[in-house]
Amino acid sequence: MTDAVIDVRGLTKVYRVHERQEGLGAAVRSIFNRKFREVPAVTDATFRIEAGEVVGFLGPNGAGKTTTLKMLSGLLYPTSGGARVVGHVPWRRDADFLRAITLLMGNRTQLVWDIAAADSLRVLQEIYRIPEDRYRATLGELTDLLELEPLLHKPVRDLSLGERMKVEFAAGLIHSPRVAFLDEPTLGLDVSMQSRIRRFVAEHNRRAGTTVILTSHYMDDVVALCKRVIVIHHGRLLYDGQLGELAQRMAPYKVITVALRDGAASAFLDELGTVTSRDEASVTLHVPRESAPERTARIVRDLEGSLADISVEDPPIEEVIDRVFAGERMPEALAAT
Amino acid sequence: MIQIYRALLIQAFQQMAQYRVAMFLYALFSFIRPIIFLAAWLAVAESQGGRLGALSSSDLAAYFVITIVVTHATQAWDFFEFEWEIRQGRLSPKLLRPLHPIHYSITGNILWKLQTSLAVVPVAILIAITFDARFTTTPSHLVLGAVSTALGAALAFTFGWVFASVAFWTTRVHAVVTLYQRAAFIFSGQIAPLALLPGPLLAVAYALPFAYMLGVPSDILRGGPDIATALLMIGGQVVWLAIAIGVYRIVWSAGLRQYTAVGA
Amino acid sequence: MDRYLRLLRLFVRTELQFALEYRVNLALEIMQMVVVAGTSLAAVLILFAYTEVMNGWTLGQMVVLLGVYYIVQGVEELVMQPSFQKFMEHVRDGTLDFILLKPVSSQFMVSFRHFQTVQTLQVLLGLVITGLGLAQLAATVTLTSAGAFAFTLACGLVLIYALLLVLSTLAFWFVRVDNILAIFWAFIDAGRFPIDIYPGWLRITMSTVIPVGIAVTVPAKAIAGLVDLQTVGLIFLATAVAWMVSRAFWKRGLRAYTGASA
Repeated sequence: MTDAVIDVRGLTKVYRVHERQEGLGAAVRSIFNRKFREVPAVTDATFRIEAGEVVGFLGPNGAGKTTTLKMLSGLLYPTSGGARVVGHVPWRRDADFLRAITLLMGNRTQLVWDIAAADSLRVLQEIYRIPEDRYRATLGELTDLLELEPLLHKPVRDLSLGERMKVEFAAGLIHSPRVAFLDEPTLGLDVSMQSRIRRFVAEHNRRAGTTVILTSHYMDDVVALCKRVIVIHHGRLLYDGQLGELAQRMAPYKVITVALRDGAASAFLDELGTVTSRDEASVTLHVPRESAPERTARIVRDLEGSLADISVEDPPIEEVIDRVFAGERMPEALAAT
Repeated sequence: MIQIYRALLIQAFQQMAQYRVAMFLYALFSFIRPIIFLAAWLAVAESQGGRLGALSSSDLAAYFVITIVVTHATQAWDFFEFEWEIRQGRLSPKLLRPLHPIHYSITGNILWKLQTSLAVVPVAILIAITFDARFTTTPSHLVLGAVSTALGAALAFTFGWVFASVAFWTTRVHAVVTLYQRAAFIFSGQIAPLALLPGPLLAVAYALPFAYMLGVPSDILRGGPDIATALLMIGGQVVWLAIAIGVYRIVWSAGLRQYTAVGA
Repeated sequence: MDRYLRLLRLFVRTELQFALEYRVNLALEIMQMVVVAGTSLAAVLILFAYTEVMNGWTLGQMVVLLGVYYIVQGVEELVMQPSFQKFMEHVRDGTLDFILLKPVSSQFMVSFRHFQTVQTLQVLLGLVITGLGLAQLAATVTLTSAGAFAFTLACGLVLIYALLLVLSTLAFWFVRVDNILAIFWAFIDAGRFPIDIYPGWLRITMSTVIPVGIAVTVPAKAIAGLVDLQTVGLIFLATAVAWMVSRAFWKRGLRAYTGASA
């Protein structure tokens, strides 16, 4: 066996969707003779996650992120393949397994609307059978990290969205789970609350060693928290590795930005790469990754005195992701993974 | 005005189309209770040899079958909807329109009844057959009964709006409406034909408005009272309707002042 | 078991705190319950102004029945209705996932999580009315009849619970189940009179499809010492079957929800 916290092999989920036909006659017929269409949501996913890692799942809506998350948390049976999370098969939902994980969803609450969060937390203490001293210690720590003190005794309905999310985190982590699945935890929050939540997740991971699986639409969440990312598209794993290397693998170009002095002629730059923006003072162009050093050298040589500044960078991560999802990915980039 | 109502009816029809199933299910409530009390009264009548005073078992069946239809025709539910609209802040935009909100409610009310009568009338017929109802209705009873039912519906609707207006002052309309509905339960003819209410209760029933919403039209439609009595009852309905409209106007305008003063 | 009792106590306590925060509402709710029960009692008295016995039921027995009706309805509104209502909201909003991820029985969490604590008073009111009826009957409650009452009442409540569980479980397949439950609320009203006054088809509906007839009528007969052992046994058997069927159906619904049975 393995000592990985999460070990996924060939995980596949195919939904059987009932095909609805127009018209009453067809609706009646379909009661007796249902037509199903098979929709693959996740295909043959294989990966391992070690204890204490923070891993980001990236992918557009409908890519299979949430389906994967639901299978790993035990909410969904896979069609085939296997998975072990903290040594358990998730979808058997053993009590020991459930005590070791948590699932937080940004747009959904597990708190009871009309009562104070403190009361909901007490219920969770009983459900997870947390001994009193450990409960107090964990709650104290969460209260410090999230600044919960003024929030715990108000009815949940009186909390703002951001405040509610903080309390939601406390509720999700009160039983000190070893694995936390965070599905869009910063959805709808304002920028400063987003960064608060990020800092909290990072700090909690550092202190408690919780393994965190995160999905988010906000690249900032992923950049701030995850060293490693798993990119899912159309239910398939496209990339699994360091966030820093994602651009190298997935984007076949680099971005060269040239700042010019005195409106110097820059027409020749068009021959070196694809110019994406140009104004009086600067030009930005994309060049093939492997020829970047050589072309940079040429720019420096040819522009000489009229060159004010030059930078060579990987494209911004959002752009890389966008390109991957839009299907502009270079085939060899895929082969490399 | 007719064009406005035509437009409102079409709009209401489209809105209701989304809730068709729920709509028919709520029509269930108009016939469950009459059946319950019909069964109870038949059991009582049986213990007394099949008659209670002037009423035979078949007369009782006829009365309660008619109340199924009249209950349905005179239902009003604005007191609940109105409070909800105020709480959700949906009233203010309605007040900005050049048409009094009551007109939306009138069209919605009529349309719901027309549509659900498709379910209620067959059930009433089925019950009439099951319990061997006997009607002594003459054509003039039918005409007067129809007028009386319309008046009853108007009366119930207007009182519905009087109690809806309570929402301008308090969010606890529910408690007030419960009192109103339980008074109706005893005095309107829901639990017993008016003639079977014991003496003092009957006097109170005729003094209060509730009997004029349900018991009176049902009695006339069944062919119970003679024409002179029926006309007298309808006179009572007209008086109560005039009072109700007067009260409604006072309460509504006072409520509106209260509402705009608070500036909700 | 112990743990589930502790959880129940916690659930009740938190909801009780909530109810007590709104004192005026509480007072108004109590007022409404008393008015509703009082007028229902008045309706029974009006019926009995014309007879001594209605289909074999005396006034005292009928008042007992009304009391039991409010006990049953009170329990149903105390926990079943609020919990199942919430469950359907959970399915619709996708928050059921949180419940499935808790290391306690999902059926327990779904069935007993929410209480309308004020309805306890309706149960008490029902007990008071039952007492009034017994006083009128001048009936001596024996240990046997009290036991039969408690036992058949418990069976009746489990029957209703099983039905509501089955109806709610349908939410796993159909989103709008509230409508089906509306039928149940419409029919429960009929429990205020003994089932034997209803004609054939209605009686069958009330005792089998909507078991409120059994849940109310049988205990009311039992406390007056009018139920034989055979009936009690039959009710127990029906309850046991209903319980097992509803539980199996719930598990089946859960499997469909998690895609295990596809």
